[in-house]
Order: sequence, then C-alpha cells, then structure tokens
Amino acid sequence: MKMKTLVLFLLAGFCLCLTAPALAEEIKGKVVIFHAGSLTVPFAEMEKRFEAAHPGVDILREAGGSTKMARMISELGKPADIMASADYKVIDNTLIPAHADWNVRFASNQLVLCYTDKSKAASEINPDNWYEILARPGVIWGHSDPNLDPCGYRSLMVLQLAEKYYRQPGLYDKLLANRPLKNVRPKSVELVSLLKTGNMDYAWEYLSVAVQHDLKYVKLPSEINLGDYKFDDYYKQAKVQVTGKSPGKFITRTGMSCTYGLTLIKSAPNPRAAEAFLAYLLSPDGGLAILKEMGQPPFEPAWVTDEAMKKRLPVPLRGLVEVRN
Amino acid sequence: MKHVDPFVGLTLATSLLILAFILLPLVEMVVQPSVGDLYRTLLDPDVRRAILLSLYTSGLAAIISLLLGTPLAYLLARRNFKGRKLIESAIDLPIMIPHPVVGIAILSMAGRGHWLGGLLHDLGVTIMGSITGIVVVLTFVGLPFYLNTVKNGIEAIPPRMENISRSLGAGMTATFLRVTLPLAWRSMLVGAIMCMARAISEFGAVVIVAYHPMTAPVMVYERFTAYGLKYSQPVAVWLILTCLILFLALRVFSLPRRST
Repeated sequence: MKMKTLVLFLLAGFCLCLTAPALAEEIKGKVVIFHAGSLTVPFAEMEKRFEAAHPGVDILREAGGSTKMARMISELGKPADIMASADYKVIDNTLIPAHADWNVRFASNQLVLCYTDKSKAASEINPDNWYEILARPGVIWGHSDPNLDPCGYRSLMVLQLAEKYYRQPGLYDKLLANRPLKNVRPKSVELVSLLKTGNMDYAWEYLSVAVQHDLKYVKLPSEINLGDYKFDDYYKQAKVQVTGKSPGKFITRTGMSCTYGLTLIKSAPNPRAAEAFLAYLLSPDGGLAILKEMGQPPFEPAWVTDEAMKKRLPVPLRGLVEVRN
Repeated sequence: MKHVDPFVGLTLATSLLILAFILLPLVEMVVQPSVGDLYRTLLDPDVRRAILLSLYTSGLAAIISLLLGTPLAYLLARRNFKGRKLIESAIDLPIMIPHPVVGIAILSMAGRGHWLGGLLHDLGVTIMGSITGIVVVLTFVGLPFYLNTVKNGIEAIPPRMENISRSLGAGMTATFLRVTLPLAWRSMLVGAIMCMARAISEFGAVVIVAYHPMTAPVMVYERFTAYGLKYSQPVAVWLILTCLILFLALRVFSLPRRST
C-alpha cells in the first residue's frame, strides 16, 4: 500500500512539472496603465486587440495630463504597471530613478490649432492669420493646464515661438491676455468636447487628437509646431514656468520636439503581463501600426539614448528597441 | 435582576457602529494635517477664495431653489392631480443621475451648437467656466432636496388652517403669506440647508462645466492630483469646518421655541 501511494505522488509531481511551463506561458491578471490623454484612442484600440489575444488579461487604463499621472505614481503611491507620457522628460524628471530604470521613446506628435465649423471666424482662419484671430475679443480659445499636462506648456511654447517666427514682438502676451483662466482645462482632450459643443472656438491639440476626433485644424510651420526634431535648436528658445512638487515651487520647461516616452514601473504589480503588453505596443505590426493609422507617427523602431539603458530593458523588449544618441 | 430588552442593546450597538462609520474618516482627516499645514493653507488667498466661492454659489443655489421651488412644493403637497407621481419621480432624477452626466448635459446645452446655448451666447451669457454655470449646476443638483423637504413640511400642516383663512375672505396669496408661510418656514429653512449642503459638496458636475473659477471641492481634487494628500487635506478640513459651523448655526436657529 505504501509503495502505491509513493508512486502516485511521484506521478502527480511529474505531471505537474510537465504542465508548469505551460502555465508559465499563460499571461493573466490586471495591467494598470497610466497614460497621456492624447494616447487614449490608440491605447483603447491596443487594449481591445491585446485582450482579444490574451483573454486572461484585463488592461485598466487611466488617462490624464502626463505630469499629473506621473505624480500620482511618485507622490501618491498609486499602483501602476506602465507609464506612457506625452513628454519623455516627465518620466526622466519624476519617475527615474526611484520608480523606473529606463525610458523608451516611442512616438512623436505636433501641435495644431483645432476648431469646428461652429467656431467664430472658422471660414477665414488659415496658417497666416491664426494669431490675429486668436487675439480678437469674443473669440474663445484655450489650452490645457501647463502644470498638469505637457500639451499645456507645449501650447504656450508654440505661442512663444510664433512671436519669434512671425516677428511680432509682444504677441505672446497679447494672446494670453485674450485667454482667461476659465479656458484652461486640466486635460487636453477635455477641450475636444468643449469645441464640439460650441463652448470653445479654438483649442491647442496634438495633430493625432485632431485626426482621431474629426476636428478641423490649422497646420503650423515646422519651426513652431514642435513636431520635427531637426528644429530642436529653434524650439529651445521657448521656456515656460510650471509648478513643481509643492505649491510655491516651480520648474522651467524648455521647448523640444514632442517625444512620447514609456516605462515599466519598478513596483509594478504584474510585471510579466505588463512586459507582454509593452512588447505588443512596441512591435511594428502591433501597437506602432495602430499609432500610425491613428495619425500619430511612431518611431520605427522605438529608441533609447544609450547601450546601458538598452541592457536594463526587460528581455522581451530588447529586440524591439534601438540605441540612438 | 433587571431584564433589559435585547431591542435596546441591538439598537445601541448598530447606532454606535453607524456613527463610527460616519465620524471615523472625518476625524481621521481633520487630525492628520499638522497645525502648521492648516495655518499655511488658511493664509493662501486661493484657498480662501475657493471656499468663499463654494459658500457663495451654493448659497445662491439654495436661495434660487427657495424662491422658484416653493410654488412647486406647495402644489405637490396640496393638489392631487393626474401625473403627480410622475412629476415627483422626475424631481428625484437629479439625485440619481451620475454627476459627470449632469455636467455634460448642461455643457452640451450651453454651447453654440445648441439653440439655447446659441441664444445665451448672443445675449452675452456664458455657462462654461463662469459663476453662472456653477450656480446652474448646483441648483440642478440641490433642487430635489429642497423640494422634497418643503413638500413634506407643507403636507404636515393641516389644510384646515388655509381653508379657514379662505372662508374668512382672504385671497390665495394672502393665505399663503400669512397662514402657510409662518407654519412652513422651518421646513423651508431646513430644505434650503439640505440644498446648500448638497450643492457645496458637488464636484463631478462642476469640474466639467467650470474648472475655473475653482470651487473648494475642485481645488481639493486639483491639489490632490498635482501635489498629494499633504496639500489637499488642509483645504478639505477648512471646508468641512466652515460648513459645520454654518449648518450648525442654521439648525439651531430653526429649532422650535419651547412652549411655556
């Protein structure tokens, strides 16, 4: 009798060992992603497709101004697996090194001036007169909160660069004088609903958001739209002061081409499933293709700044990322 | 041995549980910030402005509810008409609708894309990002509380009193002002307090219609997401204390005088 039970136990243990690798393949659980508001539409599509391919996974996204979302991780200790920011610098400043080890740049974007056919002067606005129209009394235009959202301080940078590009000294102050605080919203995508309901005439948005939400937009010269890294030296002229970690403290943001960054949070509750999602996101026929078809040019491939950072990446991601200095 | 009815014990136990459930989080929030944090927050002009704005807009919402809502409350209390139950259910709708939905609904009507919004814009009235907009939202969410309280209050007054007044020759208005009102003013005050209390705490609808100018609940949320608990808790504490003093005072004022 004792021999029989021993053999049974060994057999059970053997079977378990056989199935263990199969269990290890299965990716499941919740994956919490904090991301920029402007990534909402493409990430929703990625969520749908990834969950269809991996039914055991539940992707939970929370969107907001990237600065705000990063602070939720660093200051409030909110649990998250992945952070995707509209400005990679937010990850560098707020999350590295305490909450993250690496920062993959995966997409670009540019700023455009959005409007609808209900907007005032909608029929006459063009790339040459937009700054005159925004200065007109009665025109309601806005942007997102520079303290909480990169799109906010980027909008202000565009205005500063416009002052230099169009050679109109004082233009920046003149435009801001026609933009009361009530036209500033914490998240840039909120401005979309204000435009569509006719509560706002013009709003500063990313080109991808304008495309995704079927808004009309004015495209600006590359020198001022923060969309082309070749003009980084020109963009550097723009400087915006935003609030820091506590009331009374400030940080200066310097103009640079829009570069989106992402990272895996060190204390991620579900790193395996998160890495699988990131591998999907960064693959050229997965997430990057979705970004492209939704009007947001991705970096193909995504990149990091040095070899040391590439070595710190999780194994599934190393093949999808290149080093660019 | 004295026999205590288990009913007493059970009632006491559950009552203490409920009171603890309500008071514990609030006490926790009030004692967590340091005295220094509380003092610094009080000195911040933005915080004081936000709390005053909350008091002002919710007070206005209560007054509007009182002036424009009392006739409906009177009608529902006194007259039994076809569709009365439907109207009573409709009045409770603002309580059930999720707050962001309220904000979205009001904002959609306030824009140039809507006929009413277009008209308001032409008249120079803005709802988005204005005190007008905030008061509209707060009145919407506070009305049911006023209407239900006053309706119940008027129902408790015997109609006999009003009938006597009418039979003696007084008109409807005079009867209302000289008979109904003196008997109903306490429930109207309590109704206004309920309305104001509901309005002052409103967040979800206000944050959609007007992020600026900032009411106190919006500021608490903004500070929480931008800076963390340490900077948002003191604002919440001052708001709670202000409301507590205000509502306590109003309730004391509305206590019936003890008959000799």
